Amino acid sequence: MSGTPPGLPDPAGDRDGRDGWTGGRDGWTGRFEDELLRLGLQPARARRLAEETAQQAAESATAPDALFGPAHLYARHLLTELNTAAPPAAVPPRATQPGAIQPGAIQPGAIQPGAVRPGAIQPGPVRLRLTGVGKRYRRRTVFSGVDLTVRAGEVTAIVGANGCGKSTLLRICAGLTRPTTGTVHRTRRVGFVPQDGGTAGWLTAGEHFRLFGAAAGLAARRAGSTGEHLAARLAWRPEPGQLAQHLSGGTRQKLNLVLGELHAPDLLLLDEPYQGFDQGTYLDFWKQVLAWRDAGKAVVVVTHLLHDLQHVNHVHDLGAAQ
Amino acid sequence: MVTAPRPWLHGFLDLCLLAMLRERPDYGYGLAQRLAAAGVADVPGGTLYPALLRLEQQGLAEPRWQPSESGPRRKYYAVTEAGRAALDAQVAEWQRFRDGIDLLVTAGAAR
Repeated sequence: MSGTPPGLPDPAGDRDGRDGWTGGRDGWTGRFEDELLRLGLQPARARRLAEETAQQAAESATAPDALFGPAHLYARHLLTELNTAAPPAAVPPRATQPGAIQPGAIQPGAIQPGAVRPGAIQPGPVRLRLTGVGKRYRRRTVFSGVDLTVRAGEVTAIVGANGCGKSTLLRICAGLTRPTTGTVHRTRRVGFVPQDGGTAGWLTAGEHFRLFGAAAGLAARRAGSTGEHLAARLAWRPEPGQLAQHLSGGTRQKLNLVLGELHAPDLLLLDEPYQGFDQGTYLDFWKQVLAWRDAGKAVVVVTHLLHDLQHVNHVHDLGAAQ
Repeated sequence: MVTAPRPWLHGFLDLCLLAMLRERPDYGYGLAQRLAAAGVADVPGGTLYPALLRLEQQGLAEPRWQPSESGPRRKYYAVTEAGRAALDAQVAEWQRFRDGIDLLVTAGAAR
């Protein structure tokens, strides 16, 4: 079974290895099912998907790991794929441009609006609601009439051209900037990650953890260990004594991300937080966003990278909302 | 991350699958072979099977388990009425897209 080509191998080619991986809870299928459960799928549905996946491997006479890759990664991939087809239920029609931004989701006409996504994690309570929000600087209207609802367990992307006010809108979401018109309701625990800045060059990562932790009412040791733990999930181990000004741009953004999440917020607001990330870190970042989503957090990401949008539940096009 | 060898297939994979299923019901491996034989792409299992599940979930394709003479039973998919309608819409979309590309790539090549 070595050297499996990217396509499906000839089913007549290898039949001997089949026993032992179609049935039972052991091995790949078991790990696959466990990961589906961990991602919040109903047990019955997880079991059915696991069985079907084993059958699919069997029908092409291939071991599941050769056909699908590692079990936990395929579980996430499959859920993302199945959720991608979900109808953009809460997005106002004018805010979506399926043809322009989601070349993967190609049958908007075939999707029943408001249909329940089978197997998907049901969106939870509203964490952020903007109603008729507008911002004007003197006589220049940046945007107006923005309606946005973000629920627990959902990722919303704010997209739009440079200068259309994405960062301003995010600051309004965070309560840092006051809107000229409209109302904002938000959950109490909010994490905000700015595009740049937000860290102090003469402090170490550990000092940042304790400082931001103190502001959120966390004990110093708890804040430090939480920070280390969150950093590790972004494949970063802060060096003791290293000042933030000596961190690379990408690592400083990781520090920003950790600080935004330190106090376990229900709502995360991220302003293009991947500036300076290399490709691997960039993928880690999106994995992290999906992990937050699956943990029931509401996430809003400002982005101009349209290929990011395969990961998100809703897209708010600020340029189109004018 | 599992990707199709040609990134632009992704947008038209559902179209290809529905078209093949309209011709005749088939199971995953058979569909992969037909795609490869048509010279469209070698679609990895990690791309093909999620797409089939998605079609099933959207009610565009209907599965039926069938025993096979050799080896384990197979999940055959057939196109549904909704699937036919979606396919018609997508075919029109595809033809518009293809004509546009043709126009662009032949415009300067003629002379």
